Amino acid sequence: MKISEPKSNIAISVKNVSKQFSIPHEKITTLRSAFINIFKKKEYESFFALKDISFEVKKGEFFGILGRNGSGKSTLLKILAGVYTADQGSTKAYGRISPFLELGIGFNPELSGRDNIYLNATVLGLTEKEIDEKFDSIVAFSEVERFIDQKLRNYSSGMSVRLAFSVSIHANREILLMDEVLAVGDANFQAKCLREFSRYKEMGKTVILVTHSIDIVQHYCDRAMLLRNGEVSKIGNAQEVGDEYIRQNKLDLKEK
Amino acid sequence: MVKSHENYKELVWRLAKTDFKLRYHSSVLGYIWVILKPLLMFTILNFVFSSIFNFRNSGTPDYPLELITGLLLFQFFSEATMTGLTSLVSKAQLVTKIYVPRWTIVLGSTMNALFIFGMNLIVLAFFFLIYGKIPSFLGLVMFFVYAILLYILAVAFSFLTAPFYVRYRDLRTTWEVLLSVLMYASPIIYPLTLMPAHIRQILLINPLAFIIHFSKQGIINNTFATYGDFSLLFLGIIFAVVIAFFIFRKSEKTVAELI
Repeated sequence: MKISEPKSNIAISVKNVSKQFSIPHEKITTLRSAFINIFKKKEYESFFALKDISFEVKKGEFFGILGRNGSGKSTLLKILAGVYTADQGSTKAYGRISPFLELGIGFNPELSGRDNIYLNATVLGLTEKEIDEKFDSIVAFSEVERFIDQKLRNYSSGMSVRLAFSVSIHANREILLMDEVLAVGDANFQAKCLREFSRYKEMGKTVILVTHSIDIVQHYCDRAMLLRNGEVSKIGNAQEVGDEYIRQNKLDLKEK
Repeated sequence: MVKSHENYKELVWRLAKTDFKLRYHSSVLGYIWVILKPLLMFTILNFVFSSIFNFRNSGTPDYPLELITGLLLFQFFSEATMTGLTSLVSKAQLVTKIYVPRWTIVLGSTMNALFIFGMNLIVLAFFFLIYGKIPSFLGLVMFFVYAILLYILAVAFSFLTAPFYVRYRDLRTTWEVLLSVLMYASPIIYPLTLMPAHIRQILLINPLAFIIHFSKQGIINNTFATYGDFSLLFLGIIFAVVIAFFIFRKSEKTVAELI
């Protein structure tokens, strides 16, 4: 993906992106068949995880992506982050994109909170100097001051999530990608995250959130997109997209 | 490419430091193992080959020094290639959940071996002190040049193999076996001078054997490879790492999907 010069008010533009995966079509149950399989040519079944996806996200927008499991949400986010390369189509980001999909990447339970902050923040693209400057603010936001020199394995899961989230919002990116991050914390923490996202918006930054929660999309997102079987099913007003998702889910249930 | 990482240097350094910190995190002896491991190997091999095969009295008076130098260099290489080979898989999270330039993962992982080798140089210095041997200045310089070349060779190997290890996990076992073949194909436990001349020539085609033999010769006997041979090795290794890096840039593209 290229970072282009700021152009009008677009943060991300995705054009005709497709991604295909091939899955080996086999089931090995015995040692014998495993051995035979070495010599047999494997059969692959390919399917489109994403089919001809196009959309744009504006600067300062809180954009939600909804869809059922396997609808291609995560694949799309991985292409935006640069983890996967698209087979076809192009993606453009106008501004620095946060390259992570999950919180606390690189976190190691055997390291202290302090070391984990440095490790995680470096992985997110901060320089040593930047981390030094932001360190106190990261710790303060995560509310783990007392435990900062203890090993992470002694942290409660809530504490490590807070720490991870705190590092990620200090990564200072114009475009933030978040995959299901709100599912892990308690209600209190969720509220804090969402407040932080709103603050991001005020600063003119863009947040793209992948979630299952229709509620969050309808309450907080400006616009949303619904994916279904790798295609854009609906895009636009968050309220309407959420309603469409509910409608589809009801239909799917009836069919069963 | 997402060009959102401008802190390559810090990233490589941080990954390397973390690996080093975590390496012995729940062992009692901790970093003492770094020194203990080659020492134990040395003790066993030295006992067997000095007292039973008696290399010391058959033309290799400094056999213990040759043995420890060869062992340390070989362990350095085997450690670096092993961590390099498995780097993308063992740091899978950095490959699948975020975009960081993948070469930083490979390079950061191999650096651990560099730290360990650095610590082991203290052991080597002690050996030279105990045996009362003072290496020549040129011998020392060439030793470090060879060590750096050896590291570059290991990095080239890692760039070449790490993306394929994602697909074929057999590579690890294969490399383990090949490493022990390489150990016996390099003049580590036996002096090269023991071999007939034509076999010597064949063995020295192996860059690992060449590096080990001539770094030993340099610091112990103050004899060196010819300019021609050395330039060939030097250019060969630089060429290898450049080619390996280009192949890596191609083969890394699909690793996230395959891990």
